[in-house]
Amino acid sequence: MDTMKNLNDMSIAQKGSLSVMIDKHKKTIVAFLLIIFLFILGEVIVSDFLSVGQVLLTIKLSSFIALFALCQMIVIAAGGGGLDLSVGFTATLTAILTAVIMDGKNENLLLAILVALAIGAAVGLANGTLVSYVKLPPLVVTMAMASIIQGIINVYTAGKSITGKPAPILQTLAAQSTGVFPNILFVLIFMAVVVMIILNKTRWGLKLFGVGTNETNAYLSGVDVKTVRMVAFVISGAVAGLIGLLLIGNMGTAFKDMGSSYVMPSIAAVVVGGVSLAGGEGNYFRVILGSIFLQTLTNLLVALGWGDAGKWLGFGIVLFVLLIAYVSDRRKR
Amino acid sequence: MSKITNVSIDSIGSSMKKIGLKQEVSSIMILLVMFTITAILQDNFFEPNSVVRNINAFAPLILLAMGQAVVIISGGLDLSAGAALSLLTCVLTYVMKQDDPITGVYAIVIAFAVAVLIGVINGIGIGYLRIPPVILTFATSYIWLGAALFIRPTPGGETVKWFKVFYDTKSAEGVPAFVKAIGSVFQPALVLVLVGCLIWYVISKTKIGRYIYAVGSSNDSAYATGINTAKVQMMACIINSVFIFLAALFFVGQNQSGDARMGDPMTLKAIAAVVVGGIALTGGRGSVYLAIVGALILSFVNKIIFFADIPNAYQTLVSGLIIIVAIAGSVAYSYINKKAVGKESK
Amino acid sequence: MILEVKGVRKCFGGVVALSDGNLVCRLGKITGLLGANGSGKSTISKIITGVYNADCGEINYNGQCVKYKNPNEARLDGIAMVFQNLSLIPDLTVWQNIVLGAEQKKGIGLDNKSAKEISEKIINKLHPGLDINKKVNQLNPGEMQIVEIAKAISAEPRLLILDEPTAALEQAQVKNLFQYMRELANQGVSMIFTSHRMWEVMEICDDVIIFRNGENVASIDFAEEGKDADKIISYITGDAKKSECEIVDREISGEAVLSIKGMNYGKHLRDISFELKKGEVLGIGGLAGQGQNELLLALAGAYPDMKCEAEINGRKIKLTKPVNAVRNSILLVPGDRQLEGLFLKDSVYKNTIFPKLALKRQPLFIPSKKYRMECENIVKTLSIKTHTIDTPVGTLSGGNQQKVVVGKWLSFDINVLLLADPAKGVDIGAKRDLYQYIVDMVKEKNTSVILYASDCEELIQYCDRVLIMYEGQIVDSLEGCNINEDEIISASMCVKRTMEVG
Repeated sequence: MDTMKNLNDMSIAQKGSLSVMIDKHKKTIVAFLLIIFLFILGEVIVSDFLSVGQVLLTIKLSSFIALFALCQMIVIAAGGGGLDLSVGFTATLTAILTAVIMDGKNENLLLAILVALAIGAAVGLANGTLVSYVKLPPLVVTMAMASIIQGIINVYTAGKSITGKPAPILQTLAAQSTGVFPNILFVLIFMAVVVMIILNKTRWGLKLFGVGTNETNAYLSGVDVKTVRMVAFVISGAVAGLIGLLLIGNMGTAFKDMGSSYVMPSIAAVVVGGVSLAGGEGNYFRVILGSIFLQTLTNLLVALGWGDAGKWLGFGIVLFVLLIAYVSDRRKR
Repeated sequence: MSKITNVSIDSIGSSMKKIGLKQEVSSIMILLVMFTITAILQDNFFEPNSVVRNINAFAPLILLAMGQAVVIISGGLDLSAGAALSLLTCVLTYVMKQDDPITGVYAIVIAFAVAVLIGVINGIGIGYLRIPPVILTFATSYIWLGAALFIRPTPGGETVKWFKVFYDTKSAEGVPAFVKAIGSVFQPALVLVLVGCLIWYVISKTKIGRYIYAVGSSNDSAYATGINTAKVQMMACIINSVFIFLAALFFVGQNQSGDARMGDPMTLKAIAAVVVGGIALTGGRGSVYLAIVGALILSFVNKIIFFADIPNAYQTLVSGLIIIVAIAGSVAYSYINKKAVGKESK
Repeated sequence: MILEVKGVRKCFGGVVALSDGNLVCRLGKITGLLGANGSGKSTISKIITGVYNADCGEINYNGQCVKYKNPNEARLDGIAMVFQNLSLIPDLTVWQNIVLGAEQKKGIGLDNKSAKEISEKIINKLHPGLDINKKVNQLNPGEMQIVEIAKAISAEPRLLILDEPTAALEQAQVKNLFQYMRELANQGVSMIFTSHRMWEVMEICDDVIIFRNGENVASIDFAEEGKDADKIISYITGDAKKSECEIVDREISGEAVLSIKGMNYGKHLRDISFELKKGEVLGIGGLAGQGQNELLLALAGAYPDMKCEAEINGRKIKLTKPVNAVRNSILLVPGDRQLEGLFLKDSVYKNTIFPKLALKRQPLFIPSKKYRMECENIVKTLSIKTHTIDTPVGTLSGGNQQKVVVGKWLSFDINVLLLADPAKGVDIGAKRDLYQYIVDMVKEKNTSVILYASDCEELIQYCDRVLIMYEGQIVDSLEGCNINEDEIISASMCVKRTMEVG
């Protein structure tokens, strides 16, 4: 083992900073090429695939994937095999509950936001506590949490129709466009900037990456590893809660499965973006590219008439292949 | 951090025997309590009809939990089990034609081949490509789901008439008399569970059976001893697939149809059953038969709760809560137990 | 002659572990390997069994030139090695472990009966009374070591390599082992035996080969030359520079900065008490793996289960969390810098500012400009050779990486600096820079330092006082002129005490 480690050092040391730079951007380039490839493929197979309207629509739809992928990225960055399978369900729950609160009026929006944040943070706190302090596998915890939230939704919606409407502001933000650009794009850009500032400019962001990169070093440097991981889940939950508001803004009404189908793409987007599942990394720009790729793939498969089956099969295979490319640990022992 | 935490593990190590024993005993005790409570609450618990109903309700989870247990003991985790189950029901009902009894045989052969293929793909990913099992099976679960949706976009399909033999021998047509005779004594669901137990019994006596524990307990040590760890992990995935296949036979016999989404909730339940049975999620420890105990405990708890006349809508919520409480409880229990025993020995 | 090793050389990333290793094993004889830390004695065993591949050199086994890729190949060829870091499966039973990988089939199942018989037979000789149906995780470390030895023996090797097999064993177990080893030797099995206990080597071996600085410097056949402990020690230490003693004329003020009483942590640290004075450089010596790393990690608060009474500047503190240690400016430069001290993927800048986050008062946004300036200064002070401060630490050389680890603490007002073998894998230039900086810091700021070094020379050169650790305890304290290679090594090997026992 020691030999291996030392050899690795050597090879790292020999690489110049230029090739390191290329290495750094390799995954961005791959994600870009994949998107372009899909668009060209789409244009060849289905006519009228590569139009301005289509591209903008793709960006709009992929914004939601990208927002969910943000939750995922933060949890993954904290390391320890973190993943959050409950995000889509949390969003659905807040959408359904805040629909009633808002009742189509802007003045109720503030209360709705607070409720959404509170619900999301509570879910995240439960996830984070079970993962960090009870030391359960994140996937099992968040999967169970998803089933609990689905249960709450089922109870709440049992025997009655879901009432309520989003505040008009939300509809403007999520569903409408300014000129040709969908407003959700600006929301996404705003989020991306905020996230990159938090992750790269604040001490919390630095701690998060530290914990993900090398938990022993972070721990010995005096960082409370457990708390940082728990907070990552809380943030993930809170953001998911807010996405619930945007989802209902986009759809106009809330319904039972509005968020659940985003869970898989949110994880796949992170992997397509080449963000390490081992933690300690977080490049939201690449994650957004990953989301666009997945949405383009969906569009293509829908255009081919393969529908849901093709979408899930395609996502599954893409994720599988990229796991082999990025995650596989075929080192000689 | 492993280097640091490792040390505290050896101090606990010496007292492991007591715990191992205690955990097994405690899960069996819990099962007995649950059994008694159910027997008291359900008036006709011991009547043949309700025994049959209970066996039918519990058997699939038992099978899936045993399969999952094999993977978990080998150091993995299979999140694709539910999706694989769905896919197999779709494959079975896709191949079978109602009026052509021989298609039933084709269906079984093809579905078995698909099951093995599923195991091989998961096994290659986990064993040979060394992708973390959780994320790998998360990815493959969507491949199985997509494939199942391709075959059967909406629930449905047909089966041959004799296929009911896997659910209820009496109502199956075109089945030899002796099979019916056996079926009238032993429930088909029970037979499937016994077949599963037999398969594991045989495997546990072979090298693979022992190596599954070795690899799950310490992958590096096993490798250093010259064991082909990748192959062992793949075998564990294939064994799991066979158990899923048995469960699929039961479901198709029962429902006479395939459904690309029916297995989804089963994955988590099976994992929970394994944990509740007292098998460590870290691998290498615990008997596969404990998964049966865990599955029964979960099933009885479910039953007890629904005696309280909870509306149907609460079902997902309650079973989700049970699972998370059960998992957190078992893990916390074994942790507290370890600490207590550790102090005692000092 | 069963094995002959000629001119084997092995480097790990530029550091020479073995420069010229030669070794001969005779049929049915037990050959002892002796040497100080890092003398290459472990490395040569690992090369023979294929754990490492030699850079050059030749291994002749049974008259054939061999080169194994892994220990398994060697085992199939009749060379078995007892590993120090155990290769047992904790959840399998003793007998299952002994036959693991070599199970015999019987019908469709396994031949468990004969496996148990074989295991029973070997275990009975090594440790009568050990239940072979116990799981390995229920055994104590000594018993595990015995199972490990039994596992190697069960393969019926012609050459058995035992790398410090006795470290975890008790006296009686060692006696049993020696008896069995002699029995095996009489049956024609050759053995290579390493141990840090002198008396053991004297008792069991037929000849010894002594390693120093990566090469074998002497070989003594006990049958011809007799057993002379002093002579062996002089070979291990080399032509010791005993006389040159320059007393460091530094006055160390009497006040204690850190006082530790009754520190206990499992088997790694046993009842350790000491005081560290202001401006003192306290050395920790001893053979590798006697608890020195654990001691420093414990002082840095890494072990929540550790028990001790600690006072810093007369104030009681709890050392059960790293954050407590950091807030009291007890700062660790850990032994495994890549695992415990650095974020290899991240830049020099990120690595150096990271520990500041453990401090309480920090602005919401990181004041990048200020911190980057500080980082540039640190790079300059320690003369870290890096392209820019944004270069990933993983691309730097070992020495510069080590400087970054030290650098990340420089913005703190250091009370106690803990250095765990800081010169390991560091080139000479960087090593000199590093120690020069520390010496200056001690002089100017009156900082206290605890230095663990596996190399005696560093202890001799820089320490005011040296504590010697042996099996988790402090066994000796050397001061002034007593800090010399001879004293350190004989104290490390516990020669004085164990010779009496033996």
